[in-house]
Amino acid sequence: MFVLRRVLWLGPVLLSVSFITFVLMHLVPGGPWDSDKTLPPAVIENLNRRYGLDQPYWQQYLSFLARALQGDLGLSFIRQNQTVSEILLQGLPVTASLAVLALVLALVTGLTLGVVAAFRQNTWVDYLCVAFATLGASTPSFVLGILLVLTLALGLKVVPTSGWGQPQHLVLPALTLTALPAAYIARITRSSMLDVIHQDYVRTARAKGLAEQVVILRHVLRNALIPVLTVAGPIGAHLAAGSFVIETLFAVPGVGRLFVQSVLARDYGLIMGATLFYTVIISLANLAVDILYAVVDPRIRY
Amino acid sequence: MARKFSLHIWVSLLLAFGLAAGGCAQQSGPAAPPGGAPPAQGSAPKGGEFRINMSTEPDTIDPNRANFTTSILVASQVFEGLLTYDKDLKLVPGVTREVPSVANGGISSDGKTYTFKLRSGLKWSDGKPLTAKDFVFTIKRSLDPKLAAPYANTLYDIQGAEAYNTALGTKDARKEASDAQLAALREAVAVTAPDDGTLMVKLANPRPSFLQLMALWVAWPVREDIVTQFGEKWTEPPNYIGNGAFVLARWAHNERLEFTPNPNYHGQKPNLDKLVFLMISDANQAYLAYVNGELEATAVPDANTKLVMADTSLANQTVRYNELVIFGFEFNAKSPPFDSAKVRHAFAMGVDRNALIEKVAQGVGKVAYSPVPPGMPGHDASVGKEFDFNPAKAKQLLAEAGYSDPTKLPKITFSFTDTSSNRIRAEFFQGQMKQNLGVEVTLDPLDSRTYQQRFNAGQFQMVYGGWGADYPDPDNFVPELFKTGSGNNHTNYSNPQVDVQAKACQSETDEAKRLAACAQAQKLVVGDQPWVFLFYRERFWLLKPSIKGFQVTAKDQLPGNRFYNQLYVQK
Repeated sequence: MFVLRRVLWLGPVLLSVSFITFVLMHLVPGGPWDSDKTLPPAVIENLNRRYGLDQPYWQQYLSFLARALQGDLGLSFIRQNQTVSEILLQGLPVTASLAVLALVLALVTGLTLGVVAAFRQNTWVDYLCVAFATLGASTPSFVLGILLVLTLALGLKVVPTSGWGQPQHLVLPALTLTALPAAYIARITRSSMLDVIHQDYVRTARAKGLAEQVVILRHVLRNALIPVLTVAGPIGAHLAAGSFVIETLFAVPGVGRLFVQSVLARDYGLIMGATLFYTVIISLANLAVDILYAVVDPRIRY
Repeated sequence: MARKFSLHIWVSLLLAFGLAAGGCAQQSGPAAPPGGAPPAQGSAPKGGEFRINMSTEPDTIDPNRANFTTSILVASQVFEGLLTYDKDLKLVPGVTREVPSVANGGISSDGKTYTFKLRSGLKWSDGKPLTAKDFVFTIKRSLDPKLAAPYANTLYDIQGAEAYNTALGTKDARKEASDAQLAALREAVAVTAPDDGTLMVKLANPRPSFLQLMALWVAWPVREDIVTQFGEKWTEPPNYIGNGAFVLARWAHNERLEFTPNPNYHGQKPNLDKLVFLMISDANQAYLAYVNGELEATAVPDANTKLVMADTSLANQTVRYNELVIFGFEFNAKSPPFDSAKVRHAFAMGVDRNALIEKVAQGVGKVAYSPVPPGMPGHDASVGKEFDFNPAKAKQLLAEAGYSDPTKLPKITFSFTDTSSNRIRAEFFQGQMKQNLGVEVTLDPLDSRTYQQRFNAGQFQMVYGGWGADYPDPDNFVPELFKTGSGNNHTNYSNPQVDVQAKACQSETDEAKRLAACAQAQKLVVGDQPWVFLFYRERFWLLKPSIKGFQVTAKDQLPGNRFYNQLYVQK
C-alpha cells in the first residue's frame, strides 16, 4: 500500500517537474538554431516546423505531455537522427554499469573504513581512516581523475586514458566516481557506529557475554546502518544520473554528459527527457531507501 | 618510456595549474618528419589504422542536413560530390569527368546553365549504379522545406530553388503550402538529368562561384530508396550508403565512428584497414591519449604548446597550418562610441597583435590586418597595415573624436562566448585598452547560445568573434560579412561603396573584374574598420611519425581529412 501510494505520487511530481523545466528552458535566452553562422529566417522557420517549435508554447507543452504519456519523449536537436528515448536508453546501461560498480565499491570501502575507525577510535588506524575520508571528500573529481590517469594509465600502463567498450575502460571512471561517496559513507558509518556503541543495549549485549563479532554485526552495525542508508539513496541516485565531469573526462558515452550538453545546446527535447529521467531515478532511489529502512530497522513499519 | 612521459605530463599539469613555468628538456626521439609526400598508388603499404579525435558526437551525419564541422567531417569520408578540392583548394573533378567551364562547354556563355558530365561506371558502396538522377534527387531533397537543411540557401542561385525552400515563409510572415503545391515547386527546381551521365542546372542569375557551392555537402549525393526506406535511421550503418573512399562500419554513439575502405570507390582506394574517429571532448585528455599511444593525431592544448615546441621528440611530430578563418573584434556601428570611425581606428591601433599571438596564443596564429586569409584568392597582405599597433596615434585619434579624456567615453561592454581561451583573450584586450589608451572596458562573458542570440540580433556593443570560409572564394568573406543587410553582417555596418563592389564580387562574370571588385571591397571595409582584424587561425597538432601520406589543406574539418584515403602506416 505504501509502495503503491509512493509510485502514484510520481505522477504529480513528474508533471510539476516537467512544467517548471519547460518554463525555465524557454525563459533562458538563446535558442537551438542560434549559431556563429546565422541561418536565414526561412531556413529557421523550416527547422522550427520540423521540430514543432512554430506552435504556441502551451500547445508545445501539451503535445509533449500527450506524447510522453505514450513513452515518446520527442526528438533531439543535437542528435537529429535519434529520438530522446533512444539516446537515454543508449546512455543508461553505460552510466548504470559505472554507477553500480562505484556504489558497491563505495559501500565496501566506506563501511569497512567506518567500522574499523569506530572500533579503533583515537588510534592511528582511526586517524588514517579519517584522513582518507577527508581527502576523498575534498578532492575534486577532475583532479583525482587526472591523477589516476597519470599514475595508472601513463605511469603504470595498466589501463587506457579514456574510452569505452572494454572492461579496463571501467577502472578509472569507477575509481574516480567512488572516492567521494566512499569517504562520505566512511564518515557517516564511523560517527553512527560511535553513537550506537555507547547505547545501553550494546552494553547489555556485551554483559550477556555475547561474542564481540556478534555484538558488532548483529547489534551495532545493523542499527548504525540506518543513517548510512539515508545517504546511500541520494548517492545511488546521483551515481545513476551520471557525472558530467567524469563522463567528459574519460569520454564515457553515458547519460551524465547529455544533461549539460542539452542545456548548453538548448536542445529542448533532450532537456525535458533528461530532467524527467533524473526525476524518476531520484524518486525510485528514495523509495528503495524507504523500503530498506523497514528491512533494517524493525521499529519502522509502513 | 613510461617515466619519461609521466615526467612530461607532470610538468604540463603543473603548468596548467599555473604553479610552474618553463620548458622540459628531454632526450631526443626518432626525428622522422610527419607526413611526407604520398607514394604512387599501389606502392604504399596496406593495412593499419589511424585514430584521431573528433571531440564530440556529430548532431547528424546526413550530408544534406549538415551544419557543423563534425557532421561535414564524417560525411566527407563517405560521400563525394560532383566536384572536390585538391591540396591547394583548387576545384577538381569528383564524380564528374571535368570541371565545367565556358571553354569546355560546361558553362553557357551567359553563365546561367551548368552541365556536369559524370564519370562512367560510378557505383554506390553497395554496388548499385550512381547516376545523374541521384544528384537531381539530392539537390531537390536539400531544398525541401520539410528536410530543413541549414545550408539550403547556398543553392538559392538555382532557378526555382528559393521559391521551393521558402514556401513555408518565415516566423514573421508564415505561409502555408499544400503537398501538391510543394510537389509542383519541387518539380520547378531547374535541375535535370537528360541522361544517366549528365546533370543540368539552370541558374536564376549568374553566380561565378556556383561551382564552389556545388562542391558543398548540400550537393553530396544520397540515395532516394535508402532515405525513403529507412527514414531517420538511414544514417546508421549499414544503411549509410555513400560513394566516397570509406564506408561507415560502426557507430558507437557518443564514443566512436569506424570506417573501412569502400571497394567500389572510383578514385584512390584507402591504404588503411580502419579509420577511427573518437569523441574525447576534454582536450587535455585527448593529448594524454596521444602521448599514451591511443591516438595517432591530436590537437595540442594551449597550455602545452610551448612545452611541445621545446620537446625535441614531440617537436618533430608537430603539424602546423593556417586555416581560412579570421578572428577579430567586431563593433556595433550603431552603438556609441563605435558609430565614430575614428574611435574604431583608435581601438584597432591600441591592440598589439604580436603580443596577442606571442604571449596569449603561445605563438600559434598569424597576425591579420584584413579579412580574406592567406591561402585563397583575394588575400592581400599589404591591406590594413596602417592600423598596426600605434598607441600614440590611437590616443590622438580618440582626441580627434572628442575624447581627449578617455574616461569620458560611454561605458564599453565587450561580449564573448565564455570559454577558457576566449576569456584569456578578452582579458588581454581589456588590459591593452587600459594600458595603451586609458580606456575602461567591461567584460561580458556569455554562454554560447546567449551570445549568439544577442550577436545575431545586434544587441551588443563590441564582441570577440570570427568567421570561417565555407568555400575558398572571397565572395564568402567580404559580401557575406560587410554588405548592407547581408545575413551575416551583424555589425550594422553599411557603406554604399562597399555594397556596389560586394555585389560585383558576387555576380560579375568576368573573373578578373570580379576579383578586382572583391579586392576593392576589402580595401574599403578595412579602411572603415567595422572589425579589428586580429589574426588568422592556425592549427597546432601532433602526428605519430609512423603515419605517412598526410596532407592538410587550409580548409580541413580535421587535419588532413580530405585525403585520409592516401594515409598509410610505416611500420
